[in-house]
Amino acid sequence: MKLLEALEIVKKGNLQKSEGTEFFLACGFTPLHLQTFLAAQLQLLLPQRRIELQTGLYGDLLGNISSLIKGTAEAAAVVIEWQDLDPRLGIRRLGGWGPAKLPEILENLRAQTERIRQAIEATTAKVSLAISLPTLPLPPLSSPPGWRASAFEFALRGCLDSLGAELAQDARVRVLNPQRLDALSSPSERLDVKSEVVNGFPYRLHHTSVLAELLARLIQNPQPRKGLVTDLDDTLWSGILGEVGLEGISWDLDHHSHIHGLYQQMLRTLAEEGVLIGVASKNDPALVNGALQKKNLILGRDQIFPVEAHWGPKSESLHRILKAWNVGAESVVFIDDSPLDLAEVKAAFPEIECVAFPKDDPQAAYQLFETLRDLFGKQTVSEEDSIRLESLRRASALREQNQGATHSTDSFLEQAGAHLTLNYKKLPPDPRALDLVNKTNQFNLNGRRFTDVSWLRYLNDPDSFTVLAAYEDKFGPLGKIAVLAGREEGRVLLIDIWVMSCRAFSRRIEHSLIDHLFDRFPCEEIAFEFAAMPRNGPIQDFFAGFLGQPLSPRLRLSRKLFMEKRPPLFIDVKEIGNG
Amino acid sequence: MVDPRTRLIKCFLAVFSQLKEEDVTQASVASVIDWDSVASITLLTVIEEEFSIQLSADDLGSLTSFEKILEYLKGVNTSNVTPS
Repeated sequence: MKLLEALEIVKKGNLQKSEGTEFFLACGFTPLHLQTFLAAQLQLLLPQRRIELQTGLYGDLLGNISSLIKGTAEAAAVVIEWQDLDPRLGIRRLGGWGPAKLPEILENLRAQTERIRQAIEATTAKVSLAISLPTLPLPPLSSPPGWRASAFEFALRGCLDSLGAELAQDARVRVLNPQRLDALSSPSERLDVKSEVVNGFPYRLHHTSVLAELLARLIQNPQPRKGLVTDLDDTLWSGILGEVGLEGISWDLDHHSHIHGLYQQMLRTLAEEGVLIGVASKNDPALVNGALQKKNLILGRDQIFPVEAHWGPKSESLHRILKAWNVGAESVVFIDDSPLDLAEVKAAFPEIECVAFPKDDPQAAYQLFETLRDLFGKQTVSEEDSIRLESLRRASALREQNQGATHSTDSFLEQAGAHLTLNYKKLPPDPRALDLVNKTNQFNLNGRRFTDVSWLRYLNDPDSFTVLAAYEDKFGPLGKIAVLAGREEGRVLLIDIWVMSCRAFSRRIEHSLIDHLFDRFPCEEIAFEFAAMPRNGPIQDFFAGFLGQPLSPRLRLSRKLFMEKRPPLFIDVKEIGNG
Repeated sequence: MVDPRTRLIKCFLAVFSQLKEEDVTQASVASVIDWDSVASITLLTVIEEEFSIQLSADDLGSLTSFEKILEYLKGVNTSNVTPS
């Protein structure tokens, strides 16, 4: 992005009528163009909001970080440079670089790094942070020639690496990946000596632009995609199964098809992290079944669900896979070596990210793996991630069973041995609750989304309560699948957040939750801050079952009506935590 | 390529968000209230980037109005400034 473009984006954003969202840029240098680029990048990522980017005092990084505790910023970018750790590591101060100074510089850097760590730690309860560790080259202050590394420089970098490793473990701190920064901004093209000396701003424009883009992405923290659908022939493996047969397909060094093995390894990793992996292949189903049973397949057969193998259009396969996963098209990535199939799927599902598998270009294939990491990346792998696929399989089996005539739904649910554990403990916040609130679309009361900080504010409200529901039946656990939050207003219970994972549908969990609320709270009526949205049909259907159509924005469901109309419930409900 | 005058107007409008297009050619340090030291650095950096030139420290003090900057740009021998 050019500076002119950034200024124009900021100017346009300032004209928005919406309420401003406050962010903070904490750095020790003059923020100047970094402030402009960061505001512009945030505006691009958050187009519905008016971005207000505040900055602090020149030369006081520590003070600027500490000021966040009393401020009202939703998130902050903290940009640390060498001169913030010891001014002699910059070029604006003339405190000396001689050999006698180096031990003292190192000592000073250690102490300042610790102070910064403490300041950041004190701040994270109030505001989420995006942190950039020093990006500029060290000045030529130690004795070895530039091509030879010095113990002094290793010691300096070691301190910062330790700081980064510690900060990266905190879910509310997001540390910028130096490897990605290096790929986009050459280290030798970062320092602007004239600008630093004259204006106190150390970065060249390209570096500023790249740094701002990555910081904005850290602040925005985009939701990862949920599922990946892959083609088979010349994608998951090398060769056309229908032509070369089971023995002819390969993914190894011997057959010069190793890149397909790496691709399988990448998919296996994603599956282990909770990403849903499905197959859409124009192929003979029996042959595909045989190929997927091969013992040396790196991606396990049990990690793939569902497999769509037939001769029909790929878009039909995608349609069925989306239904089986119960996710929106925008959560899915489709990978195929055929441009025609990619185009056909894209035409049917414009929201699906369609990516070509570059079977003849290993370098491009490697870049594809990096793209997949970006699309599916998440800070931590939760318990829910590890059981997602299995619970989907069970949900699918449950749907099929419900459609059959052998058992009625009631008798099936009665025999399921279901338990619902409701956790009322608000603090410390369970990250899964916010994850559910921000990811769920279908069974979602109003689509309200929260940042880390606004969620914390909500939880800290003494009048509010939240319930995080975990479900388990004799077929296994579904994990934490629903969040319900609100407050008591006299004889009415007001619910302003209610989300439930699509994996939990068809078990009457939603009915059991409302039943529990009427049981626990002395209210005659529950009011819901409902908003109809294009994608929250399942919750609309739930309410319409009691209240009919049309649904009003503040729905009220009385105890009497609920008890009259609710279906039989078989879930054993247990409450833990006391808020 | 758009002529330098139009490109310079675009730079001024981006940097000075309150400035009206019809007033740009008359803009100077004295007439534009937002033209402080930070705006000056931003304006000259945008001009450097837009016209692919490097301003020397000696030039900076004299570039205090739209007309002076335009005159300066016309005097710079670069194809980035001259319309092609």
